[in-house]
Amino acid sequence: MSVNVLERNNVAVSGRGTQPMLFAHGFGCDQHMWRFVAPAFEDDYRVVLFDYVGGGGSDASAYDPKRYSSLDGYAQDVLDVIHALDLRDVIFVGHSVSSMIGILAANREPDRFARLILIGPSPRYINDPPYVGGFERKDIDGLFDMMDRNFIGWANFLAPAIMKNPDRPELGEELVESFCSTDPVIARRFAEATFYADNRRDLAAVRVPSLILQCTDDMVAPLPVGRYLDAQLPHSTMRIMSATGHCPHMSHPEETIALISEYLQPATVSA
Amino acid sequence: MPRVVCDIPELLDRAPCGFVSFGDDACITLVNTTLLDRLGYGRDELLGKHVEMLFTRAAQIFYQTHLFPLVKLHGRVDELFLLAQTKGGEELGYLCSAVRYERDGLPAIDCVLFEVRERRRFEDALLAAKRVAEQANAQLEAQALELEMQQQLLQEQTAELERANRAKGEFMATMSHELRTPLNAIGGYAQLLEGGVYGPVNPEQVQAIGRIMRGQRRLLGLINAVLNLARVESGRIEFTLVDLPLGEIVGELAVMIEPQMAAKGLVYRVELPEDMPIVRADREKLVQVLLNLLSNAIKFTESGGGITLRVVVDPSRADTARIEVADTGRGIPVDRVEAVFEPFVQVRSAQSRGGEGTGLGLAISRKLARGMGGDLTATSELGKGSTFIVTLPRIDAA
Repeated sequence: MSVNVLERNNVAVSGRGTQPMLFAHGFGCDQHMWRFVAPAFEDDYRVVLFDYVGGGGSDASAYDPKRYSSLDGYAQDVLDVIHALDLRDVIFVGHSVSSMIGILAANREPDRFARLILIGPSPRYINDPPYVGGFERKDIDGLFDMMDRNFIGWANFLAPAIMKNPDRPELGEELVESFCSTDPVIARRFAEATFYADNRRDLAAVRVPSLILQCTDDMVAPLPVGRYLDAQLPHSTMRIMSATGHCPHMSHPEETIALISEYLQPATVSA
Repeated sequence: MPRVVCDIPELLDRAPCGFVSFGDDACITLVNTTLLDRLGYGRDELLGKHVEMLFTRAAQIFYQTHLFPLVKLHGRVDELFLLAQTKGGEELGYLCSAVRYERDGLPAIDCVLFEVRERRRFEDALLAAKRVAEQANAQLEAQALELEMQQQLLQEQTAELERANRAKGEFMATMSHELRTPLNAIGGYAQLLEGGVYGPVNPEQVQAIGRIMRGQRRLLGLINAVLNLARVESGRIEFTLVDLPLGEIVGELAVMIEPQMAAKGLVYRVELPEDMPIVRADREKLVQVLLNLLSNAIKFTESGGGITLRVVVDPSRADTARIEVADTGRGIPVDRVEAVFEPFVQVRSAQSRGGEGTGLGLAISRKLARGMGGDLTATSELGKGSTFIVTLPRIDAA
């Protein structure tokens, strides 16, 4: 069973520390998105990367449309990985939708988690006055339409890319691994589970201390969403980053690493 | 402070496609006039701003979840479809190809935007068709699932019915046997009584014994018929199929049937073709079927009427021979013709009052005919007599 989960979720373990740091990728990509951040923690932690079933190098044959029709199925993936490696005192780092997935997992088995680090989290993307999520339903429908259009055929950005080696022509063309590859149908369902989700009622139950990393000018998870989360989550800390956009771990890895380290410092000392 | 590059080569500035360059932080460092004109912005309004402001809300998510991660990890993306928004709010479809590399020591993402109009319409149609197909497919899958479930249910029901039918057959066979034993005793002892074995019997007693014996015979006949039907239905009847010249059978039947015909004052006619066919049948069972049909005809035809046994060879159906038994009795209402083949059904008519017979003869006969690879059917009309037709496979077919 545990071996199956490790293969199923394409789990990669590295690092020289003992306390596990579990990195969970967001919608649209896979564990490769952590390559600018995760190595910085390998000296002090046991770094665990994985892909959700249906994404990256996971075993797509394990995909069950029913299980993954809501974020609960993805939270089960997180718990499956934790059980397979028997992880305890987990520092969970989730990007975007994975923040909510981590919260769902932590609410189910809080004793496994030491900290939640939530990068660009949002408990609900669609406005529900007076709650501001940032999007109207038609915006989200527009996203699905755009995804469909990109999956029609010629935008085959999901296929393995041919990379030219102009510096070393003797290598010719090299077939490189495709990052963030996913099956269109699975991606579409993940998008629906993500952007139609409403996890506001799961926030009050969170017992695990959390860090909210809120970017400046994040169009996907704007500041009011971060403030709402900070108000609703017990034991939360919010840091507003100078990084802009929605993917600070890719666009501003240094600042992201610094803020996570700073937050973890007391936890590491007490451990 | 975002780095702003203002000088853009003339060729690129006026090229017939949009061009925009930005950093990992999405801040625009270069934008060409073609794109500015199309989107309705001045250069100063865009330089240093986030490239996301050119996109619709949906495309902003797509930029953050797909375009940026892909270009950051792969170094390039090709032909992504994105919706841009003009300053006035109009949506424009663009195909976007981008590369990321270091320029002046900093990461730069150069992005070419081709506006798609005609092919967007084509895509719309394609997508609509795809969705219709997907919907139809989902519907078909649901229907297939439903059908599969129904079939499974049907199979279960069929199996259940078969079990019940077998149980019924066994029950009938057992009961018939259990009933026949005491009935035989009744018949036997009545005969002994009638013969004076147990002492002299007076005329009233003889009459009473006669009634007992008639009742016993009738009951025994009924039970035998039930047993027969049960055997046929449970498939326990074996057929010995031989090549049978129909001429022989017709001759045999005449001998057996003519005394009854004469007794009731009926005219018996036999009509045969020049070349009598040879059929494949079980001799004993064919005789049983035809005798049953002739007995019925006698029973339901009044004195002075006629009964015809006819062998017909239809050139258009050369592989089949037909034996018809036609009477001039009162006939059966057209809508009840098929019902006479159901067990225990007798179509009530003036001639059949008294309810002679078991109501099983035709049911058994049809099963026997079918068991020999043929069939038994009927045509009739009230007041115009009935014709029962036995068909059998011919082996001398031309």
